[in-house]
Amino acid sequence: MQPVAGIGLRSPHLAEIARDRPATGFLEIHAENYLGNSPAHRIVERLREDYEFSVHAVGLSLGSVDGLDEAHLDRVVALIHRLEPTLVSDHLSWSLADGRYFNDLLPLPYTEEALQVVERNVHHLQERLGRRVLVENPSCYLAFAHSTLSEPEFLAELTRRTGCGLLLDANNIVVTAHNLRLDARAWLQGLPPAAIGQYHLAGHAVNDADGEPVLIDDHGSRVGEGVWSLFGEIVRRYGPRPTLVEWDTDLPALDVLLDEARQAGRALGVEAEANARAA
Amino acid sequence: MNPTRVAIASALAAALVLPAATSQAQGNMEKCYGIAKAGKNDCQTAKSSCAGTSKKDAQADAWVSVPKGACEKIVGGKLTAG
Amino acid sequence: MLELRELQGAFAAHLKGEDRPDLTEAVVGDTISAAARLRIHRHHVGQSLVGALASTFPTVQAIVGEAFFRALAEGFILRELPAQPVLAEYGAGLPAYVSEYGPAAALPYLADMAQLDWALNLAFHAPLEDRLTASGLAGLPAERLFDLKPALAAGSTLLRSPYPIDRIWHASQPGATVGTVSLEEGPASVLILRRPDDAAFASLDTVEEIFLAALVEGSSLGEAAEAAVSVEPAVDPSRILGRLLALEAFAALQHSS
Repeated sequence: MQPVAGIGLRSPHLAEIARDRPATGFLEIHAENYLGNSPAHRIVERLREDYEFSVHAVGLSLGSVDGLDEAHLDRVVALIHRLEPTLVSDHLSWSLADGRYFNDLLPLPYTEEALQVVERNVHHLQERLGRRVLVENPSCYLAFAHSTLSEPEFLAELTRRTGCGLLLDANNIVVTAHNLRLDARAWLQGLPPAAIGQYHLAGHAVNDADGEPVLIDDHGSRVGEGVWSLFGEIVRRYGPRPTLVEWDTDLPALDVLLDEARQAGRALGVEAEANARAA
Repeated sequence: MNPTRVAIASALAAALVLPAATSQAQGNMEKCYGIAKAGKNDCQTAKSSCAGTSKKDAQADAWVSVPKGACEKIVGGKLTAG
Repeated sequence: MLELRELQGAFAAHLKGEDRPDLTEAVVGDTISAAARLRIHRHHVGQSLVGALASTFPTVQAIVGEAFFRALAEGFILRELPAQPVLAEYGAGLPAYVSEYGPAAALPYLADMAQLDWALNLAFHAPLEDRLTASGLAGLPAERLFDLKPALAAGSTLLRSPYPIDRIWHASQPGATVGTVSLEEGPASVLILRRPDDAAFASLDTVEEIFLAALVEGSSLGEAAEAAVSVEPAVDPSRILGRLLALEAFAALQHSS
């Protein structure tokens, strides 16, 4: 995929996108929304003829100590074989424990033990898919005292051991850095450039915990200034990559989302025409 | 085939040559969902995740909460006092 | 130091509302305490699952309002977390939970409305199968038609209630113009179906319901018609079958049959 900017395909926009086929670099769907047989499926299959796709899983639970849920994995594999997206990703997190799914991207301690768990799960996922996957840095609200690696060190080592790629979410870096008192620009240093396969951008909210501001990754607003600024730094350091604008809460009119993607395209140094392949 | 069977079978067969009642029958249907409801999984964090106190008792909350919605339009029947 | 298995177990227990000092100790606290940081995750799990259930059970929420629904859903979530990640498939147990939910005892029809919401959700996510049509049956000898046992199309559910669930559904829609619904108007039977672009339901009259219920229980078309006629001798089976075919209630016949 060219280093263009695309949008997250959300169901309230489906009918409008299917009708108008707006110009955007690519469309990204959440795997877990397309494992049944809803009418949305057929629309996506038709859109696939006109757009490049990215499939972003949110429920594989790559950090689960019990390994991947095979029944769920079977369905994700079938979807990806059918849709043949350009990019496939999930998060550095866990959501399943003892057969219960918590619908949250839960944090891992960054230890050798956890690294081996994620390594085993990513290996297995890539074997089942027969392709490389991208692993995304999560938004963190807490850190574990016994972590021995930083998050970027953990991710870099994971790519070395499994050959997986990285999905760098600039908003998540800003959220994590603020909440864990880290330096976002320092976070960026030392990542393996060749492993970086995609960027994500989104808005976040400010809330408070114990009377102190905490950044919440709610995907509910335009991309913030701090995130644009860090994104500029990322692009300068690692170069352009396919970039997604995500919006989940308080979804705006499609035009607003497309406008955010155009701004991301400009930040990538991509000309509007190159980004408009689907017109 | 006994006479009842014959009568039933021919009545059923008559359905196959009825003038197409399709549009009328489908007009009696209630469309319910719409494509906009297709996605429930996302990867955001709920904005108000910091709100509230440490411990919650859902059962206790439930008993102080009073249904307040379209139920006000549903009347009659053997209602037990809430 | 918690091993990863213990840590995930403790975190899971925390998310279910338990106090886990071992987990709190493992988390770095500063001016924002470890406990406050952990609560963000507990609240997110609760809120996001309540939101998913509200989306799957819109009629139930419309009937009881957001606050009551939230309390109900939170109770259900504590009892039954999702067993897999697809949220559209979460909530099968909610109708049963509603039926024994004390605070909703004054709304005896609420569990059946939850059944209707769940059946619509199942229909929406069911595969779109080819349907049995009148022309698909044309030329079938009357004897074979009598013995035919057509299957409901995938996603179809026959739902029977002692309450007027179809009218309650109408009254609960956003912007509904329906004034009031009396529970004495019941009972009602509805057939829920997967449509090409949606899920939908149709109200059935008594003989249609008897006919369809017989088919669901394994009777042939002829036997189902006999069951309907035995209850209402004046009924014309062609009208019932004609309506069900027009509704596209049945899956197309397999070519081998």
